[in-house]
Amino acid sequence: MKINIMGQKELNKEVREAKFCTGCGACVNLCPYQASYQDEVVMLHPCDLKEGGCYAFCPRTPTDLEALKRRLFDVKDLTPEMGAMKDFYIARAADAEIRAKGQHGGTVTALMTVALQEGIIDTAIIADEGRNLLPQGMAVRDTDEVRKRGKSRFVVSPNIAEFNRLAKEGGKKIGIVATPCQGLALAKMRLKPIAAYADRIDQLKLVIGLFCGWALSWRNLVALLRQKTDLTEIEGMDIPPSKYHILQVYTKKGSLDISLDEINPCVRGACWYCPDLTAEFSDISVGSARLSEGWEEARNWNQVVVRTARGQQLLNLAKERGLLEFREVPGGNLKKLKTASMSKKKTAVKNLTLRSRDPENLFYLDSKDPVLGPLAGRHE
Amino acid sequence: MSKLIESKEGLRVLLMGNEAIARGALEAGVKVAAGYPGTPSSEIIENLSRVAKDRNLYVEWSTNEKISLEVAAAASFAELRAICPMKQNGVNVASDFLLHLAGSGTRGGLVLVSCDDPGALSSANEGESRHFARMVEIPLLEPGDFQEAKDMTKWAFELSEEIRNIVMVRSVTRMSHASGNVWFGGLPERDAKATFRFDGPLLDPESGSVSSLPVGYSHPVQQGKIKKAQEIFEKSPFNTYQGPKKPELLVITSSVCNLYCREAIHLLGLKDRVGLLKLGTTWPLPLKLLKKYLSVADKVLIVEEVIPFLEESVKILAAEQAKEIGVKTFYGKKEGTIPMTGELNADLVASAFSRIMGIPYTPMEAGYEKRSKSAAGSMAPGRDLTFCPGCPHRASYWSIHKALQMDNRKGFVCGDIGCYSLGLYPAGFRAVKTHHAMGSGLGLATGFGQLNAFGMDQPVVAVCGDSTFFHAALPALVNAVHHRAKVTLVVFDNGGTAMTGFQPHPGLTVNAMGQEAPSLNIARICEAMGAKVETRDPFDLEETRTTLNRLIEEEGVKVLILRQICALSPEKKGKKRYTMRVEETRCLGEACSCNRLCTRIFRCPGLVWDAGRKKSRIDEVICAGCGVCADICPASAIIREEAA
Repeated sequence: MKINIMGQKELNKEVREAKFCTGCGACVNLCPYQASYQDEVVMLHPCDLKEGGCYAFCPRTPTDLEALKRRLFDVKDLTPEMGAMKDFYIARAADAEIRAKGQHGGTVTALMTVALQEGIIDTAIIADEGRNLLPQGMAVRDTDEVRKRGKSRFVVSPNIAEFNRLAKEGGKKIGIVATPCQGLALAKMRLKPIAAYADRIDQLKLVIGLFCGWALSWRNLVALLRQKTDLTEIEGMDIPPSKYHILQVYTKKGSLDISLDEINPCVRGACWYCPDLTAEFSDISVGSARLSEGWEEARNWNQVVVRTARGQQLLNLAKERGLLEFREVPGGNLKKLKTASMSKKKTAVKNLTLRSRDPENLFYLDSKDPVLGPLAGRHE
Repeated sequence: MSKLIESKEGLRVLLMGNEAIARGALEAGVKVAAGYPGTPSSEIIENLSRVAKDRNLYVEWSTNEKISLEVAAAASFAELRAICPMKQNGVNVASDFLLHLAGSGTRGGLVLVSCDDPGALSSANEGESRHFARMVEIPLLEPGDFQEAKDMTKWAFELSEEIRNIVMVRSVTRMSHASGNVWFGGLPERDAKATFRFDGPLLDPESGSVSSLPVGYSHPVQQGKIKKAQEIFEKSPFNTYQGPKKPELLVITSSVCNLYCREAIHLLGLKDRVGLLKLGTTWPLPLKLLKKYLSVADKVLIVEEVIPFLEESVKILAAEQAKEIGVKTFYGKKEGTIPMTGELNADLVASAFSRIMGIPYTPMEAGYEKRSKSAAGSMAPGRDLTFCPGCPHRASYWSIHKALQMDNRKGFVCGDIGCYSLGLYPAGFRAVKTHHAMGSGLGLATGFGQLNAFGMDQPVVAVCGDSTFFHAALPALVNAVHHRAKVTLVVFDNGGTAMTGFQPHPGLTVNAMGQEAPSLNIARICEAMGAKVETRDPFDLEETRTTLNRLIEEEGVKVLILRQICALSPEKKGKKRYTMRVEETRCLGEACSCNRLCTRIFRCPGLVWDAGRKKSRIDEVICAGCGVCADICPASAIIREEAA
């Protein structure tokens, strides 16, 4: 796939106007021309530079995923279904309080805590709760600050915008919690396609990826929730296994179950074109667990995919320091996850070909990609 | 002392057209003058207000043109002479009252002066006020030079009293704003007594009620006045003919086109071949006079600007008289010799003569303007259509544009009339998407604000200036509140009618005559109407932007008053709040990812791109020291320091 780096004009046309924008924040804080507002990326003024970081880093401009994977990961770890994988675990934070304040097993909080404590990073970029369910990327240096912000947000937090802001200052060791699109953006930055920003990415020391089915559009979600509850009552949200077909909203007055039929129209349109469930471009990625004991047990655990040596190092440290505990991975778990991951890729490719009406045209994805290409019905 | 109250008769003074009109009114003994600022009319009231005390006048800048005409008419009803100047768009505003007034008739001489703007040099259109004279059936006078501007104005009062109706004098930009020599007449007594008499017989024009009712009675009376005016016009010295007894071409013209025609005749040496009939009384046309001159020529060219008003009137008259005067060949706008839009000049008129008469003439060739512009481009700095350095509108639009972009629902601004009309252009970041009459911004926004029911979720913002707020936005605000429109009004309160030269308005504590006046508080008016009101300093960009983003989301009518005095306001006395500089070590120039935000997008003329050093710098001579640009530089390279 030939990649041409272009500028804001093309980014606007190919991504924003095409409704492919994920709101990840990769194009924000590089320059004064884009901004994050609510959960959208907006263009403030036209920029006429022919080549921009905005276009180069966007996870929704054309990307040769295969080349990127080969460049950034150990080739022998690559799997077609879910990218690089060194190992797979079921884990959780040993500290029950972290689990209570976090999502599921609280593994991400524990990992970020270790990274800060051990000096792997000095700054963690995580999603802050924000107001009215509108998360904001936030840089913290203190593990207590990490622990306060362990819950999943179901609206995109423009964490890459915060990364861009911090990285411009220089001299930091940054760890970041990233959704799949954000992980891809950071991976594209690591290729250093634009000289002006090349040095900044070297400050990135750790990417903890989050499994992600989709994000919700903030405006739609809030409109829906306001019909059902007072937003200030909401303490958390979760999506139980698919057989429940609900989004659970935890409020001060108890749990509120909302059918996914109601939630689906709130999904950010761009997410239907995403081929990545497990945040393949990360050092280590974390999602909710699925266990044979059922959801009440599984909700206290996480599935963890270790992708890089750095990820493995971090997990080992967390284990050694007693911050993480593990349980045996049930047989068939990994296979189920791979199936789910492939299912998201199929959906994305299907949705893209429905738009292009051409199996050779997957917009920002490569129709010759060894994993995605065949899903488009192209056979060689 | 103003030269306009020089009492010496026979003195010759260089006067601007508007000064000549003001002098004419003074020589006529005008007592009351009321108008609303608007280019090219404003200097008439301004000059009269300066001599108000000396000449014992009452002068006011009214809230709008309709009210100004009502104020002037009241003086007429009380047997004083009154003048009411306005720009062409103002006549539209005043026209409702004007129609009734033309029906009721007047007592003291009452003159409406409309200053039209062919070519729209300082207007949003080149609307024609002459048609109002025909439409409401009142006499129309058009001065053809500066002396006539004075003399005709004076005579208009006499005519008004003779026919007992309002008379319209129409000027144009090149008459109002150019200057010429004017011989003064004398000034009358200062004193006058106002009385409104109403206890005579009901329909008595001197002592009855003043009303256009009953129409069945008053309309024929009014048409009788027009007939009388037409008879007077037959002998008017303001209608002149120059040229041979039997010209090859008869040129009929009026207003400033008279000067262009005279120049073109001179240029081509046609004084023995072309006859020039200059009309000062263009509605109703003097029938006998026209017949006389139409009889002597077969070819007739009508020279006037914009819409063929005179041309149509002459053609109708010629058709009616065809049996006696013969069939004519007409040249003008309908047949294409004279352009239908824009201003005329001697060159265009000479080209018309050349075409009709087959005389060689090389007009200004099409490429001339292009060449002159490119020559100017290499010698003179580029001049954008933009806001002044330190103008609060630039800062206001910066925040409005940013708020709407952030909101991301394709929100837009309904613009209005003032300097801030530039919001249509890059100066205002193209935030403005509709632009019409005064007050129409909020009126349109109110309509857009009702379209929710049809799936329109685009946020709607209206803008208006402080003077425009009083002029015509108030009824729209009432409408918006009462009908629960979802709309945000931003009032650009820069402390005066800035565009036309800082004339006072009802929000200020001074009136046209410099006397103290109670000021009306815009915020309290809006609150009393039931709108949610907030006030901010537009120079605080982030605070303005966040406030606007919040207000846009809220239901109902919200008013955001952005208060910051105009950079050119005399009140500022040229004082700079901040001393600005660009820190060269911080400005990365072309290497910065900002892509020259300050000089490419923000574009305050006080910021200059130094092509040599490839960095931005401040032009200290024109920088107004507002400090706003310091907040837009992403590299914090623009430094603001409190001025000593």
